[in-house]
Amino acid sequence: MAFKQGLFKTSVGRKNLMAITGLFIAFFLIIHLVGNLILILPNSFFPVEFWGNVANQHDMYNAYSHFLVHFWPITLVAWVLYLAIAVHILDALLITLNNWKTRGEKYEVTDNSTSTWISRNMGILGSIIGIFIVIHMGQFWLQYKVLGTEHDLYNLVVATFKQEWVIILYEIGIITLGFHLVHGIESAHRSLGIYPKKVMHIIKYIALCFGIAMAFLYAIIPLIIYFK
Amino acid sequence: MKLTLKIWRQDSAKTKGKLETYNLSDVSEDMSFLEMLDMLNEELATKGERVVEFDHDCREGICGQCSLVINGQAHGHESHYTTCQTHMRSFKDGETIFIEPFRAKAFPVIRDLKVDRSSMDRIIQAGGYISAFTGMAPEANSIPIHHNIAESAFDSAACIGCGACIATCKNSSAALFMSAKVAHLAKLPQGQVERLERVAWMVNAHDDEGFGSCTNTGACAMVCPQEVQLLDITRMNYEYNRSLCVTN
Amino acid sequence: MALNAKTPKGPLKDKWQNYLDNTNIVNPANRKKIDIIVVGSGLSGGGAAATLAELGYNVKNFYFQDSARRAHSVAAQGGVNAAKNYKNDGDNIYRMFYDTIKGGDYRSRESNVYRMAQLSVDLIDHMTAQGVPFGREYSGYLSNRSFGGVLVSRTFYARGQTGQQLLMATYQALMKQVKVGNLTEYKRHEVLDYVIIDGKARGVIVRDLVTGKIERHSAHAVVLGTGGFGKIFYLSTLAMNSNGSATWRAHKKGAYFANPSWTQIHPTALPQAGEHQSKLTLMSESLRNDGRIWVPKKKDDDRKPGDIPDEDRDYYLERRYPAFGNLVPRDVASRAAKERMDAGHGVGSLKNAVYLDFKTAIATYGKDTIKERYGNLFTMYKKITGIDAYSEPMKISPAAHFSMGGLWVDYELGTTIPGLYAVGEANFADHGANRLGANSLLQASVDGNFVLPNTISNYLSNEIRTGKISTDSPEFEEAEKTVTDQVEKLLAIKGTMPVDQIHRRLGKIMFKEVAMSRNEKGMKWAIDEIKKLRKEFWENAAIPGDDKGPNSELEKAGRLADYLEIAELMTVDALDRKESCGAHFREEYQTEDGEAVRDDKNYMYSAAWEWQGGKDWKLHKEQLEFNDIEVKTRSYK
Repeated sequence: MAFKQGLFKTSVGRKNLMAITGLFIAFFLIIHLVGNLILILPNSFFPVEFWGNVANQHDMYNAYSHFLVHFWPITLVAWVLYLAIAVHILDALLITLNNWKTRGEKYEVTDNSTSTWISRNMGILGSIIGIFIVIHMGQFWLQYKVLGTEHDLYNLVVATFKQEWVIILYEIGIITLGFHLVHGIESAHRSLGIYPKKVMHIIKYIALCFGIAMAFLYAIIPLIIYFK
Repeated sequence: MKLTLKIWRQDSAKTKGKLETYNLSDVSEDMSFLEMLDMLNEELATKGERVVEFDHDCREGICGQCSLVINGQAHGHESHYTTCQTHMRSFKDGETIFIEPFRAKAFPVIRDLKVDRSSMDRIIQAGGYISAFTGMAPEANSIPIHHNIAESAFDSAACIGCGACIATCKNSSAALFMSAKVAHLAKLPQGQVERLERVAWMVNAHDDEGFGSCTNTGACAMVCPQEVQLLDITRMNYEYNRSLCVTN
Repeated sequence: MALNAKTPKGPLKDKWQNYLDNTNIVNPANRKKIDIIVVGSGLSGGGAAATLAELGYNVKNFYFQDSARRAHSVAAQGGVNAAKNYKNDGDNIYRMFYDTIKGGDYRSRESNVYRMAQLSVDLIDHMTAQGVPFGREYSGYLSNRSFGGVLVSRTFYARGQTGQQLLMATYQALMKQVKVGNLTEYKRHEVLDYVIIDGKARGVIVRDLVTGKIERHSAHAVVLGTGGFGKIFYLSTLAMNSNGSATWRAHKKGAYFANPSWTQIHPTALPQAGEHQSKLTLMSESLRNDGRIWVPKKKDDDRKPGDIPDEDRDYYLERRYPAFGNLVPRDVASRAAKERMDAGHGVGSLKNAVYLDFKTAIATYGKDTIKERYGNLFTMYKKITGIDAYSEPMKISPAAHFSMGGLWVDYELGTTIPGLYAVGEANFADHGANRLGANSLLQASVDGNFVLPNTISNYLSNEIRTGKISTDSPEFEEAEKTVTDQVEKLLAIKGTMPVDQIHRRLGKIMFKEVAMSRNEKGMKWAIDEIKKLRKEFWENAAIPGDDKGPNSELEKAGRLADYLEIAELMTVDALDRKESCGAHFREEYQTEDGEAVRDDKNYMYSAAWEWQGGKDWKLHKEQLEFNDIEVKTRSYK
């Protein structure tokens, strides 16, 4: 008789899948951030002696976007990313639906002081982020890459971020993302089995710093554009 | 002390249960929580009423038989205590106390506060052992084990199998219970031979019993009477992944 | 029936080997045809069940807890003895044998004790192989600590949870056999009677504690690993559900009960705090390695322990027993504590405790070392009392702990009923009148893992042609009726006195007159009181509910009904023995300075009592012979 093993078949396997896809998405966040930081850098960061004819924010951002869309290895990675997001969501659904069934009769009284709200509500945080991603991609990715209706992405971004409701939506989405990352990064490493005590201790701090840093840097981009 | 108790009463797994209210006076601060329930039961017995059924045995925190979720927390609000070690001095006069059984689909209620925890035994049956039959053993000192490794293995082996981790986990996952055994045996040289299969079999059994998956909230380790570490779950995940990648 | 201990021939050290050389064994192909019922899942019962299943027998394991891992072996703290001589301090099998016989005050059977000492060596190997995380030196080799009553360091330990760790190993071995399919577990099943067919034990009648159903189970042999009956004192270090019913009902079916009055009163338990108390938690004896026991020199000294200077403290064990000091055997330590408390030097609000002080040890070794050695015990103490023992001495008090007495067994661990075996604390065998610390885990494990599986085959070799035993015979019918009748009788009482209250009263009688020190007048009074209480129980016990499902009051009542009978036999036995030996201290037989006086001329025997249908007991004497050890007055001075 053989045992069931693999990423889809057991509870530990499914958590591994969450971890792998989650960490890949988190890694993408770094790359995505680096490109978008162009949006908030002053023009003095683009010396004409070095960059030549794209030596301003507008041209640099558009050149970067153009490169992303037309360089095939990036396209390939992008497809991996879409797949990762899809798997992350589907796997989360699978795990959550199963976990809902495990309690049986509910407690009359619950006391949750033994764990953090974030760690218990990754599903809610994830759903908010999911909605946010759909809107976010609808605003930029759809128009620029898929439909091709907009060719000057820089102008589109700046125009979008001049609206109050967009700012509020983005701040909510990004802060939610920060919370999701703080627990997610630590949990992912645990799921993958990085067990040495000292390493886990460091990872805990890295996860906290990473979540805060990502949330902060992503959050200031729309704000700076709005107030500029 | 005067107390109002809201206790879960349920005849069997097949019938529906509900909270019943009992008032108790003259509770001493020196009583343990279970002695307080003894007192209630003596009052009920005197009146000829069916007593509240609850599991308990050693009353010194080691057998793992006492359970109870007290005011929403497994084994009560003091972290790393068992119910039998919880004393009434940590409750206030006039307080209302909610007492419920450990709940999980894998823990069907037997009666009132007694639940069936056989599902945990079946996880151990799946592989939580070293197959050394009586008579096979080599001289004990022929297997030197570093002091720190032995101590660390002990930390995991200390699990008393009470199931508080499962009752507390929002997903009713038995990850902490299972990982304590996986980690205990994986850390020791004696456990190496069966290491790869053990974790795979145990995880399979865990899922088949209807326990949920671990989401690393850490609540289990906070209530564990023996302070088994969340790190053991991480260790188990490592062992599981290792068993995916390595073959004997 | 005359007692036959079946001790093998030959010199002491060769007896076990001679036995093994000449015993009959069962062909592996035939083992599958043989059913064995094992009652209890602790170190003795569980060990036997697992080992027998490994051998290929068809084993049915019954226990009343919800999992095999809950058996009360789990609560043993300090350690397990073995004559490994890893410390090079002069230990060997003979010295261990000597210490055990002497510790038991020359009232145990030489051949059994020697076998236990011999097999202790194998037990450590076995448990290590099973994954028990014994304490280790930094070199990686096994570490030892010393224990009361001996001068060498031979105790192996896993922090203060040795019993738990050994039990986990046994439990895991059991679980493995469940998976293999050689062993069937019957959890939450209580054995209530035995079926004897043609003089042989052939089955049990059990009550399923979940459904309430009475069931019949047959087998070719029945093994009892059901522990001791110390809970008879109500307040004891035992688990709440530990009971004497399984052994007692075997006694009523014809098994002799030996030395029932020998109960060990453990010196280091937590004192009683009030009337409501249900349990006296044990603090491991290993604490006496580093802790010093004292009481104030002045009577009723109400100062805080920290305010009492050294010259006002009476380290009475060090004073009375300079050679062994705080490490005298348990009976001696308990009695000395009782003597001080009776003299008015007790401490605590009820004046029922003595101090166990770690100040000197913390000053010598540092808090960290003490924490590593006893950390979990200090934590446990804090959880229960709310006091930090690093800064204030512990308050401890004697409490009922272990039954040296039990079913009489021969060298093969067989009772006087053929086919019925008793292992571990359920039998009377190895500890004499007083058990040494860390010998109980040893005896239980050795009996279960090494002795019984080898001796039972001698009996079973004649059973291979018996075939399956039917449960439809009149004997099963009759035994089941006895059980159902008793359940009905209990439920029909419908009185007003809760079972626990009657039990508490029984405990008080027993602890007053049949515990640490005993006298004729007191015990005669006790017998009257026990009889009165028994009558009251059957007239006025409050047992609500029915027998159609779980009913803990009914379970407790059944056990108490047996306790009320065991109590009488304990007292009868204690009255019969007109000498002081080990835990049995008769006030009439003591020296001027309060030490025990043995009477080897008249009482060098184990008293095995035969049930006479409820009217008195018949005494059978097993004379003890000591050929390999000089019988001396036990002295720890």
